[in-house]
Amino acid sequence: MSIPIVEIVNVSKTYSTAAGDFPALKNINLTVNKGEFLGVVGKSGAGKSTLLNMINGVDELTSGEVLVHSDGRRVSVHHLNEDEKALWRGRTMGVVYQSFQLLPMLTLVENITLPMDLAGNFKPRESREKAMELLRLVEIEEHAEKLPALISGGQQQRVAIARALANDPDILVADEPTGSLDSVTADHIFDVFSRLVAERGKTIVMVTHDMGLKSRFTRCLTLVDGELQNEVKMETKTKGRRKS
Amino acid sequence: MKTKRRTSPRRTQPKHVLDKVSDAAPEAIIEMRGVVKKFSNAAGEFTVLKGVDLMIDRGEFVSIVGKSGSGKSTLLNMITGIDHPTSGQVIVNHNDIYTGVSESARSKWRGKNLGIVFQFFQLLPMLTLLENVMLPMDYVDLYDFDERPKRAMELLTLVGLEKFANKLPILVSTGQQQLAAIARAMACDPPLLIADEPTGNLDTRSSDTIIGLFEHFVQQGKTIVMVTHDPSLTSRTHRNIIISDGELIDETISRGLPQLRHRHMLEFTKLAEHKIYQPQETIVSRDEKLNHFYIIRKGEVEVVLQKQRSKETILSRLGMNEFFGEAELLRGGKSIANVRAGKTSVEVLAIPRDDYNRVMAESPITMEAVSKIVQKRLQEHRMADPRSGRK
Repeated sequence: MSIPIVEIVNVSKTYSTAAGDFPALKNINLTVNKGEFLGVVGKSGAGKSTLLNMINGVDELTSGEVLVHSDGRRVSVHHLNEDEKALWRGRTMGVVYQSFQLLPMLTLVENITLPMDLAGNFKPRESREKAMELLRLVEIEEHAEKLPALISGGQQQRVAIARALANDPDILVADEPTGSLDSVTADHIFDVFSRLVAERGKTIVMVTHDMGLKSRFTRCLTLVDGELQNEVKMETKTKGRRKS
Repeated sequence: MKTKRRTSPRRTQPKHVLDKVSDAAPEAIIEMRGVVKKFSNAAGEFTVLKGVDLMIDRGEFVSIVGKSGSGKSTLLNMITGIDHPTSGQVIVNHNDIYTGVSESARSKWRGKNLGIVFQFFQLLPMLTLLENVMLPMDYVDLYDFDERPKRAMELLTLVGLEKFANKLPILVSTGQQQLAAIARAMACDPPLLIADEPTGNLDTRSSDTIIGLFEHFVQQGKTIVMVTHDPSLTSRTHRNIIISDGELIDETISRGLPQLRHRHMLEFTKLAEHKIYQPQETIVSRDEKLNHFYIIRKGEVEVVLQKQRSKETILSRLGMNEFFGEAELLRGGKSIANVRAGKTSVEVLAIPRDDYNRVMAESPITMEAVSKIVQKRLQEHRMADPRSGRK
């Protein structure tokens, strides 16, 4: 049975610019179910990143509502104040971006314990054990004590994914996470995401401009000029490989 | 992420102080001695830095340039301790940062002594700009807990981001993200700022703001070492160090002959003989056959004409990074005037004639630039020398 985890209801987002109002999202309605690996593809400027920013409450919406069900709570994201939103986001959502943004002067394991220590959810020893477990999950444990400069881009992105999972969020949002990786490395990152869905029950919403990735999602939507165009259920599901 | 901002027990007694190096140069904030860095991969061993010696003084604003793969980022990584040398010594702020130092001790030391800025900012996406700037203070446990937000806000104000302090990085422009990263780098008031392509990802206006900010820090006594591709930035630094194929080019050669290709500069660096002349000592005599091209590293030389039964005429005085001998080499090899050291001793680099001619033949742009100077000197010479009319 499908259990909704994110509900986007009549969401519009309009940016005011010197050239006039620019509608980035136009009346979006979308339900993401628990355990989905949802892809949203679209060209640059279609509104993909804006959509993610509406889901995790990073940016404000113009109208509509975003409801997120997590930890037994139903939260209307945009009705939280800034402090509440930041706390909620830290617990509920992990974010992964195209650029990995690891702190170069910290080891990989320290890069993961840092957000845990900042959030204060774990004791130091626990946070280290948890970080090592996450590094194991993304298959990079052997490099734990290295600095980011000494590992490849694909490996750095694995660490960024592990960091996004530091506070054990139910949902991961990923903005072009494979955008700066070659196709073989990108495939490995997709394997990590697929495993997180299949084995850990995470829900993932990923946006990308790369139409060739469609087959890797459990469901894929297309965003064109701020509007959702169609919906394709992927039969190949998480085991589908990207054709190179 | 809304942080509760506590410091963990393992951060309460950090070791920030490494052992002082007794023979470190007093003015130097960075000394690299014979630094070699080798990488091994499936294809074999690859030497990225081939014995680098470098000294950077406190208060200098230094740019490092080099082609892709020349070793410039590796060089920076040796200074920051992000990577380790295969051999050699790196002394930063009088501390040998590699000998007998654990990774965690170096990490704490770095937090207090170095600010680092990267091309891709490396701001933590889940923290606001203010929280990102507070991170280093939390990490090395510097400044009172309650003072940290205030200091972070002051730094954000300095870089013009006070209005965006509570925004997440993704909601500000890339230029603003880099400004926040610079504020973060200065959080613990380090004496040394290291920047790797800090404007590589930014538009011209943002780049200009950032370089202006760097100049402000230098005026306050900070030392800045920056890797960059951007010539508009290198023109604003005190020193420009060029690295080519893992070796540093002599700065006298790169300043004296800036049009040369890096590989030719490196060749001259290796070929050049260092010579020191005492005050007024003759370096080249008129009509002597010249076997070298000279560039002045330190001091001043006088180009002198000794007229018959009359007083000498000083045609010109040449200073640091200027060269002599070129007119003669281009015109057949005989000196057209005497050249001697000025009132103080002078240090020159001498490049053998055949090598000079060979490289010039391969570098028409340099040849043209040198020729213009030759023409000017010959003009001065004709005006001053009664014998020149016979030629």
